[in-house]
Parts: sequence; structure tokens; C-alpha cells
Amino acid sequence: MISIDQLTKRFGAQTAVDALTLEIPAGQIVGFLGPNGAGKSTTLRMLTGMIEPTSGTATICGFDLRRDPIEVKRHVGFVPESGAVFESLTGLEYLEMVAALYGIPPDAARRRIEQFIAFFDLSFETLTDKLLGAYSKGMRRKVVITSALLHNPPVVFFDEPLDGLDANAAVGFKALIQTLAREGKTIVYSSHILDVVERVCHRVIIIDKGKLLLDGKPDELVATHNSGTLERLFTQLTGGTELEQRAEDFAKTFRP
Amino acid sequence: MTPPGDKPPLLASRLSAPTPSQALRRLFLTLFLRGRTSRGLDKKGAPKTIGRKISLILLVYGAFGCIALSMMQQPVFALAIYLHAMTFAFLGMFVASSAGEVLFNKEEADILLHRPIDSKTMLWSKIYVLVEVSLFIAGAFNLAGLFAGLGSPDGSWRFPFVHALSTAIEALFCTGCVVLAYQLCLRWFGRERLEGLMTTTQVVVSIAAVLGSQILPRIIFRFGSTMTLNESSWWFMLLPPTWFAGFDDALAGSAARLSWVFALTAVLSTGLVLWLAFVKLAHTYERGLQTLEQTISKPRSRKQRRRWLYWLVTVPPLSWWSRDPVSRASFLLVTAYLIRDRDVKLRVYPGIAPMLIFPFIFLFQKGAGMGDLGIAFCGGYLGLIPLIALSMLQYSQQWQATDIFRSAPMRGPAAIYHGARRTVLLFLTLPILLILAVLVSVLRGLDGEILLLLPGIIALPVYSLVPGVIGKAIPFSTPIEEAKAASRGANMFLALMISMLVSTIASVAWSHGWFWPFMAVEAVAVIGLYIGMRHTLANMRWKSAE
Repeated sequence: MISIDQLTKRFGAQTAVDALTLEIPAGQIVGFLGPNGAGKSTTLRMLTGMIEPTSGTATICGFDLRRDPIEVKRHVGFVPESGAVFESLTGLEYLEMVAALYGIPPDAARRRIEQFIAFFDLSFETLTDKLLGAYSKGMRRKVVITSALLHNPPVVFFDEPLDGLDANAAVGFKALIQTLAREGKTIVYSSHILDVVERVCHRVIIIDKGKLLLDGKPDELVATHNSGTLERLFTQLTGGTELEQRAEDFAKTFRP
Repeated sequence: MTPPGDKPPLLASRLSAPTPSQALRRLFLTLFLRGRTSRGLDKKGAPKTIGRKISLILLVYGAFGCIALSMMQQPVFALAIYLHAMTFAFLGMFVASSAGEVLFNKEEADILLHRPIDSKTMLWSKIYVLVEVSLFIAGAFNLAGLFAGLGSPDGSWRFPFVHALSTAIEALFCTGCVVLAYQLCLRWFGRERLEGLMTTTQVVVSIAAVLGSQILPRIIFRFGSTMTLNESSWWFMLLPPTWFAGFDDALAGSAARLSWVFALTAVLSTGLVLWLAFVKLAHTYERGLQTLEQTISKPRSRKQRRRWLYWLVTVPPLSWWSRDPVSRASFLLVTAYLIRDRDVKLRVYPGIAPMLIFPFIFLFQKGAGMGDLGIAFCGGYLGLIPLIALSMLQYSQQWQATDIFRSAPMRGPAAIYHGARRTVLLFLTLPILLILAVLVSVLRGLDGEILLLLPGIIALPVYSLVPGVIGKAIPFSTPIEEAKAASRGANMFLALMISMLVSTIASVAWSHGWFWPFMAVEAVAVIGLYIGMRHTLANMRWKSAE
């Protein structure tokens, strides 16, 4: 479903993603992890056609990222970390606009939007009367997730999708992506909340400084490295040593 | 898995969906009408048409366009030059100020760049809205001119139709030129330089518009009857508005041979610009959009500039002037924004640029008594610079970040405002004051007339406190959509009238020999007002952030 070969992105002298090579089959939920600045968001932005790779290639659903960027975009959904929306549109106007960009007829779009409204417990009045700028962060995130899934894409990229969602919505969302994966969709899930990744994802990929560090099933990786939890394994791999001690020392500086 | 070529299930059932192009055009028009952020905006109260959104601006342009009626006796070519030159300047100003925000909006990248839309469709949709608004502006300004052409000695009944067509082509040409300039700069210099270059362009276009509006009618009234096309007027070819004037003259005026050449140039150059901007360089636009998503490493010189600024506030005289740490921090913040923030630069510099032209026009004006008044007026006009700049500094795309001021342990915004005020006085007002002083010295000599600048200079501290006292004390705290051109215009007009009054009294006082008593009275009034306004500002408390 997703095939990445030597994908590289440089910003001037800085290499954000360094010759990344991966294969992700259909129906898999892949946790895409890394510390801040590791190159996760840059990788996702390349795979969704938002930025051009410096070198290397990738194909999604058989479409080459460089040769058929529009077809790639038609087959992916993306929830960016920023959760950006056009604030001066209502939720419904926004979703109808997104539907039109994917060529979904208005009646089909409306039916689909109604399904999402029901799933996310959104009120139709809010969606039609209030501008997105007046929505809470969680509500806005629900609209962004809806806009990513509206065209029923076979591949979905999530960058910190739970940011702002309340506990109920988060539980519902996790169940949703597991169901979607069972039905054959490929999910790439980038997050810093490692216990969620450990529970939800079939496979974990950890990158740092643009390079692939580790790739495997979460339980197997934890067992192989004898780290107990994915969180501990992550800190071991990405240089987060003696964090508790450092926190304690830092807290002491606040003492009068 | 979906094999290559197959559509996902929902897409297969498409019937009569609007095209992406239609959806985007509707989106960008809605964004233009409502603004990009929605603070204080009620959907029901949002404007539904371009006319409603900019009705006041259209009225002003329409009224301004009535000047053309006074040129009814001029030849078609002379009248058309005036109309097209002014249209060119107004459209240039509008498109240059809007294009940056419309074409390269950073927030938009996260929403649209991963959707299946090609860059040409996106570009065309944006241009469609820009041209639509441009046509409204051009239409308002040229409305009176359409009928003025009927009264021209060589005019015909065709003039309104021909001029409407040439104005529409000019709107396309103007929009194409600005977009092309963006794309070429982007291609050759990169985004960082593009922003600086576009700011400069916008300032230049603003100055050209004001200069044009002052100078062109005078030239036409003086040379109108001789301003016709012949073999010796080939140099008109260097001025794009004359191409479109030639179009009018060829089809509804004298139909001189050179007019046809100009008309052909207008059509061909518009075609060429449109092809280059929207077809040939459309890919450059896509790359430009992508660079918005990229973190660009800062050049070293910028870091050095920042250090220089930090050093400047720690040494006298600036360290004496800005002792309070809050004011100093605000001074540094506002200076940084004036240097770096594209949005702020594009608002502040073109905003104050036209204000700088009038003093120069007055200074060069000849006629009885105009010398003294011109100098006094230059001084009086200086006060408008802090007034306008501080008013414009209220608006920012990052207005939400100013919540940090409210959460800091301060009783009110006074200290923050004083920092902003000092930045404007030091970096915007002082250089202009020095330029004016040098110019007055060169033009009038150092025989005492330069003292006529004093009434304006003395009033500067009061002018700089006005925005703070009328509730605009927190820089960058208001969304850009709330920048109401109408109320700002009214405030500026009032300030302009006061400046003119003070300048007139000062020049009369100078010529009647009671300049110094007048200065003493003004100084006392200014000190009183200054103390009162400082007191008001110091007692100002934070307003509830709703």
C-alpha cells in the first residue's frame, strides 16, 4: 500500500529525512514515532504531497508520489498536527468545500457528513450556524478528522489526532481506526502519546534525526530490548537518559 | 487495496459535484468577504457581496472618479491616460496589498496542499477573486469617466463600452503583473527576499498612486489640448497606462495610427503577462506554496542585527529613555515586528508612505505664502506618522499571542504602549524628521525658516499618545479583519485638519512676527495635554478579553 524508497528531504544544509526506506501493507496501523525534530511531520508532509522530496521515491496505492501527486492525494487522508481550518467558514461549509475538492456530489457529501456528526456527537445546528473560529479545540479536531475521512481514502495519515479530543471522543476514535484497519485501510499514526500507540498500533517505526532507528511489532520490540514499556524503549533509543533525575534537579531550582 | 486507476468507492458514485475550481472560487470569495479569522464575526452579519464588503471604499473611489467630469473637454487620449493611470495605481495598490495574503497564506497550506488540486487550479481560483474585486474597484473609479468621454471633442458614443473593456483588460494586466512579480522574485530570490521586495514594491506603488493623483490632473489641465498622439510621442509607449488609453483612442477617439499600435501593445502584453503568470510559471507558484511549509534557516546577518538592537537599548541615550523593563521589552518586540513581520510591514509602511508625499508637494509648491506654510505643514504632518503607525500596529495575525500581556503582573497596558511609541518615534518619525529638515535647509537655506518645523515637532509627543488614549494601547492585539478602513480614515482626516490648522496659524504667526509667543502657547498646551494623556494611560486597566 505504501512503499518508500530512500526518501530524503534536505532544508539547506540540514537533512530532515535521511534515506528512509519502508513498506507498509494494507490493513496495518503503524505508529510513527520520534522525538521533536526527528523528521516525522516532514515525512508525512512528503507522503501527502505537501512538500517535494529532495531525493528518493514513494508510491501510495500504486501511484508514484512524483509522477502522480494528484492521484496520491486523492487516495490519502491527512490530519495535520496544526488542526488548521478556515475559521470564517461554518463546519458544514468547510466540509462541503472539502467534499467538492474530492468530487463528491453534494447529496452524497451531506449523507456522509451526517454519519460523522452522529459518530462524533456533533450538533447539526452548531455545524451550520457557528463559524469554525468559535469552535472548541476538540470540536475543531473532530471536523478536521471528518474532513480527512470524508472521501473514504484507503490510506490515512494522522499527526497527533487526539490533541484536544475529550476522553470519550478519544476512545471512539481509537476504536474507529482499529475498525478501519480491519476493513483494509492503512493507517499511519504519529503521536507522542506512547501508551496509546502501544495499544492501538500493529507496528511501530521509530525515527530520529531523519534516520530509521527501529521497526517492528510493539510487544516484540519491548521484549527484544527488555525495556518493559514502549515509552522506556523510546527514551533509551532517542537519548532521553536519566529524565527523572534531571526533572528532580530542575525542580529544585524553584525552591526559594 | 485499491489498484492503480480505480477510485475509492465513494468517488465512483460521483454525479454532479461542483468542480474543484468552482469550490475553490467560492471558498476564496467567502474568505475575502468574511476574512480569514472569525473573531467578532457573526455569520449572519457577514457581508454577502463584494459591494457590501467594500461599499465605503467603492463610494470613495466613485467620488474620486468624478474628477474626470472636469476633463470632459479634453481629448479622449488625455482623459483616458488620466483614467487608466489612476486605475493602474489604485489596482496596483489593492492587488499588491492583497496578493501576498491571498497567494501565499501559511495556514492554508495545512488545509489545502494535501487535497487533490493542481497548483494551476488553485492559482486561477485566487486570481479570479482578485480580478473580480479589482473590477469592482476599477468600475467604481471609472463610472464617471465613462460619461466624461462622451463629451470629449474627438469622443464617440462607443467610449463607455470601449473604456469598460479596456479597464477590464487593464485589471487583468495589473493582477497578472503583480502575480508575475511575485513568481519571478520567488524563482530568483527565494521567499525571504520576496517578502522584503514586495513590501518595497507596495510602498513605491502607494507613493506613485498619491503622486499620480496630485500631479496627473495638473499635467493634463496644463497640456491636455496638446496631449495627442503623433510620431513624436513614441515615448508614451514606456508607460503601460498609455497602452490602454491608446485602446480607447483607437476605438472611440481619434483613431490615430499610433493609438492602434498602443492598443495592440495593450492586448498582446496582457496576453503575455497572463500566459507567463498563470501558465508558464504556475509550477513556481506550487513550489512557493511548498516553501511556506519549510523551516528556513535564518541568515547570520539577521542574528547580528538582533544583537545590535539589544545592545542599543542597553546604552545611553536609549537606556535612559527606556528604563522600565516592560517598556524596553515592548520596544524590542515592536522593533522586531517592524523589521521582520511581513504582515505588519505591509500594513505600516505603505500606510505611512502616502502621508510623506503631501509635505514634499507642499514644500515644492510655488506661490504667494506657500513657502512658509509648506514648511509649517511639513512639521505638522510629522505628527500623523506616529498616529498612523501606532494605529496600524494594533493589528496582527498573531493577536492571540498578546494574551501574554494580560497574564503578566501589570495593572494596565501603559508600559507596553510606551515601548511601542518609542519604537515608532525613534525608527519611523525621527528619520523622516531629519530628511525633512535637510530638505528644508537645502531648499530654503538656514535663514530661520526651518524653525517653522518646530510647531509640528513639539506636538509629536501628544500625537504619539493619541492611539493609546483612544483604546489602541496594546500592539498586535487585534485581528487584522477588525482593521476598519472607514473609522481609521475618519481619525486620520481629523488629525490632518488639526495639523493643517496648527500649520496655518504657525505660518501666519511667523509672517506677523508673533511666532515665539505662539510657540510658548503651543508648548504650554502640549505639556498640559501630554501630562493629562500620560495620566489617563497610566490609569488604564485591561479590558476583559472576550
